Amino acid sequence: MPSTQTPPIAGAAIDPPSLRPPIDDAFIERVEPERLRARLSELKAQGFSVLLDVGGADYPERTPRFDVVYHLLKLPVARADAKEVGTPVRVRVLCGVDGPQPHLSSVMDLWKSADWAEREIFDLFGICFDGHTDLRRIQLPYDWEGHPLRKDYPTRGQARERSPRPQFANKMNVQAGTPPSGRTLEALQEQVKKARGQ
Amino acid sequence: MGLACCAIEMMTVTSAEYDIARLGSEVFRSSPRQADLMIVSGRVAWKMAPVVKRLYDQMADPKWVISMGACASSGGIFDNYAVVQGIDTIVPVDVYVPGCPPTPDGLLYAVNLIQQQIREGGRGGILARS
Repeated sequence: MPSTQTPPIAGAAIDPPSLRPPIDDAFIERVEPERLRARLSELKAQGFSVLLDVGGADYPERTPRFDVVYHLLKLPVARADAKEVGTPVRVRVLCGVDGPQPHLSSVMDLWKSADWAEREIFDLFGICFDGHTDLRRIQLPYDWEGHPLRKDYPTRGQARERSPRPQFANKMNVQAGTPPSGRTLEALQEQVKKARGQ
Repeated sequence: MGLACCAIEMMTVTSAEYDIARLGSEVFRSSPRQADLMIVSGRVAWKMAPVVKRLYDQMADPKWVISMGACASSGGIFDNYAVVQGIDTIVPVDVYVPGCPPTPDGLLYAVNLIQQQIREGGRGGILARS
């Protein structure tokens, strides 16, 4: 039977995911990082052949700071001679990771789709996946520093936060209708007039 | 280069109702070596920025650049770490077209302005940059 709430972390003062109402009828369970690979192998053996996505979340006020969420799908039986076609079953497996260098074991040998999904988690959160054969950034440039979806990463980017130039800090002082370089149509027409010697 | 949503309006400009072909811009070349004008339509991510610069460098002089839309001109609504806040930080721009997206009429006007610059100025970019 689907659970009505995400199981909270024992001992955590606040656990935001457990306070949220359920979105769909997925079975939700929480495992420890050590048990994660075993549990996902069990679920795969039970027929959850599709890993839809691996997601991440950052809760800085909670002790296991990151949550890595595996979305699994069991497809209904699609045989012509089956009397009834089953219904798809969805499972969501949450795993809390923490530490200065958070890491989890990779499941890319169980599901190929975990390859890029784990690269995305590494890119945006900084969680390493042990056993991943090609763990590099996927959305940002390969030599980017920082993990943008962490809550302590500035929205505008670290370069612009550190920059002394005010127009990089925020856009409030850019007047509407002015091109950012200051070259307007009138300035261009002035140049044309000067070039013609008028 | 059609990067994002502005590319849809750039495609619309080639349709019968707006028809950029009647201004002479019939062909959209698939190679920068054969192009005179680069229209950057859409937001440019920092990951895409070296590609835009390389394509601009591969164009032969004289060359012109239209920055189409708010995102190419200034980053648009994407005031964040991933989007280049205006392609004039990486390539020199001759005409900016505001809008999100600009109407195809806006892009036609931009091509008109480029033609005006060419008639009065000559080599690409020099008049606007001087």
